Amino acid sequence: MDRRTFLKTAAGTGALAATGGLAMPALSQGAAAKTLRFVPQANLANFDPIWGTQYVVRNAALLVWDTLYGIDSKFQPQRQMVESETVSADGLVWTFKLRPGLKFHDGSPVTSKDVVASLVRWSARDPMGLMLRAIQNELVAVDDSTFKWSLKQPYPKMLLALGKNNSPCSFIMPERIAKTDPFQQITEYIGSGPMKFVRADWVPGAKAVFEKFADYVPRSEPADWLAGGKKMLVDRVEWVIMPDAATAAAALQNGEVDWVETPLSDLVPVLKRNANINVDIGDPLGNIGAFRMNHLHPPFNNVKVRQAVMTALNQEDYMRAVVGDDNALWKPLPGYFTPGTPLYTENGGDALKKRNIAEAKKLLAEGGYKGEPVTCVVAQDLAVLKAMGDVTAELLKSIGMTVDFVATDWGTVGARRAQKTPPGQGGWNMFHTWHAGADCVNPASYTAIRGSGDKAWFGWPDSPAVEAEVTNWFNAKSLDEEKAIIAKLNKAAAEHVIYAPTGFFLAYQAWRKNVTGVSSGPFPVFWGVNKA
Amino acid sequence: MFAFIVRRIITTIPVMGFVALFVFSLLYIAPGDPAAVIAGDQASPADVEKIRLSLGLDRPYLVRFGEWFFRVLQGDLGTSIFTSLPVTQLIAQRIEPTVSLMLLTLILAVSIAVPLGVLAAWKAGTWIDRVVVAFAVFGFSVPVFVVGYLLAYTFALQLDWVPVQGYTPLSQGVWPWFKNLILPAITLGFVYIALIARITRASMLDVLQQDYIRTARSKGVAQNSILFVHALKNAAVPIITIIGIGVALLIGGAVVTESVFAIPGLGRLTLDAILRRDYPVIQGVVLIFSFVYVLVNLIIDLIYTLVDPRIRY
Repeated sequence: MDRRTFLKTAAGTGALAATGGLAMPALSQGAAAKTLRFVPQANLANFDPIWGTQYVVRNAALLVWDTLYGIDSKFQPQRQMVESETVSADGLVWTFKLRPGLKFHDGSPVTSKDVVASLVRWSARDPMGLMLRAIQNELVAVDDSTFKWSLKQPYPKMLLALGKNNSPCSFIMPERIAKTDPFQQITEYIGSGPMKFVRADWVPGAKAVFEKFADYVPRSEPADWLAGGKKMLVDRVEWVIMPDAATAAAALQNGEVDWVETPLSDLVPVLKRNANINVDIGDPLGNIGAFRMNHLHPPFNNVKVRQAVMTALNQEDYMRAVVGDDNALWKPLPGYFTPGTPLYTENGGDALKKRNIAEAKKLLAEGGYKGEPVTCVVAQDLAVLKAMGDVTAELLKSIGMTVDFVATDWGTVGARRAQKTPPGQGGWNMFHTWHAGADCVNPASYTAIRGSGDKAWFGWPDSPAVEAEVTNWFNAKSLDEEKAIIAKLNKAAAEHVIYAPTGFFLAYQAWRKNVTGVSSGPFPVFWGVNKA
Repeated sequence: MFAFIVRRIITTIPVMGFVALFVFSLLYIAPGDPAAVIAGDQASPADVEKIRLSLGLDRPYLVRFGEWFFRVLQGDLGTSIFTSLPVTQLIAQRIEPTVSLMLLTLILAVSIAVPLGVLAAWKAGTWIDRVVVAFAVFGFSVPVFVVGYLLAYTFALQLDWVPVQGYTPLSQGVWPWFKNLILPAITLGFVYIALIARITRASMLDVLQQDYIRTARSKGVAQNSILFVHALKNAAVPIITIIGIGVALLIGGAVVTESVFAIPGLGRLTLDAILRRDYPVIQGVVLIFSFVYVLVNLIIDLIYTLVDPRIRY
């Protein structure tokens, strides 16, 4: 090919390209309009909601797998796959009947054998499931649509366990899949939920696609979080993974995506000024910021030292560092339970209401602190944790503590926090995290509040008083009784400083105005969402 | 020549073996635990431990390395800890966007940087030269992500000429493919253009002072011919070398560029895998990148013989 021929060919190719001659036929406007493009909070790196319990996996799983019960916005479990249930007078035998017409995405009917296998797998991993296992006589399929769970002692929170939205949810899978070891990942993603997972289109780290399941029969009640009719109004939901929040915000402004789960708070003012975009609080249950102290090693093995740190902290400092100047995004939290929920209490939380440096120094002296370095492990790759870590370093110095600030990434923190060895031998004294408010509405899935010593969450607090109240809550039969118990639990947790709450914070979600039906919830609610 | 190529390919094998050992060892001693990431934040330490056991992460170093290396020799890069998908499948899913981005960047960079460098050398000491040098310094100094955001803001958000993010496969049309890639390619190529332009300028300055150039001028040879036929060909060896070395820059830059423009390529796969400690994926991708780099150097060595007949293998 000579130069002239090459230039002619190149020009011809350019002209064709410019007129779209080489492009594939575009989708019709209608077809494109029914595809909802959603930017999730994180990458969907795996898709087994029992094996991997990250929230992003739970959120995707809610589209594909259904649950027997579903929690509503009043935190009450409502029937979802179940048509009816009975419990014996002594509270020991629960009998459930599935509603008719339930089908898996492969066309097979949902039977009670599938349910039993799914509950067996779930109960090996979930804290409430483990409690049920410990008091179980038998869990059996009576017939194709009926199953029975008999217990050695009453378990009043049975329906909550089966309908809670905390990870892992008790998702129902076909028996052959549910028989997978709960510590091994499933390889087939067949559920009976309103959307099918399109495995062929899944590019982990880039895209996940869900298509409407034509045979799904939604309940007749109005949708309310996980309860009611999950009516899908779009044909296809595409999760577009964007690691960069600024790119996600730009793509939303440009109309390349329809809904961003957690836009960067710095960019929210720009999005609010855009006439084509709605911005509102995403999850009304928000998050509880926290730092945990290691109760096994000095200096935080002494309750006085832990109390000293909590007395010196000012939650506003933390929350300003996390959310900036937007007052709608944070609240002080003198307690451990999610604000605005039925069990919220401030009982025992006085130390968190007002910083008292003098008192903190006094407590520190009483605790026998001798200036030993506090190994504070801070993840720098998560903005919230970095911000809180910086504030904590200053806080500790302000009361005279020596700080060994270990700046690292979350992957390292995740591994290091499991080490029980002393800080100088690979262990730690302090790390930061946050808890989803949805997990902190009651003790059911609130592992971070537990004071069960060696079996407790990282930091291993040992508080029989807290544990006693947790047990009492599980056995409580009325809301008033629960409230009284939680007030005592909150006080015990604050006295022992199970962990230090740094405040309550919220985050926005943003979506284009041609998308309707977006609501607030502890997870993205796709049913009822439409696109013009 | 053929014997040289065969020899070089054979020497690649111990290099790749060393890379494999190095990457595996580095990941082994690096802090972090994929089991903790999989289990989620609310998981108990006991659950994390059970997952770690199920993944075989408790086994001795030599056993794990031996098993992995044996599989690699058979062409099996293992299975991702997180997705349970074969690493080869994950790489296959991601290779087209990265290769497209790197090739477009390479074409763009060479076709801009070489003429710029030649121009600067020809006009040495003038304002044109100073502008090119200033651009080169600027190109080196500005981080990739800043260039990316500025380009996206201007050409995608303000002018709406191209999309902000994403990738359209070549099979869906040349124009959509090009529209998605042009901003990332300019972003990634910015430092590359600066590098090649500087080296081209320096090499050309050296050649333009040679006697044979003066002779060509005195014979009345056209300026274009002097610059692009006589001088550039003789200045090409260091330019080609830097283009080859720059591939490493492209590989590193692709990680950031693919994140900024949400391109589902190997760069993002690497970053995601590192953050999650998905060891088989990290090992697989690093091996592939190393192989590409070794291959590029081989090609560069072969190109030397085309531009400089004195070089023989």
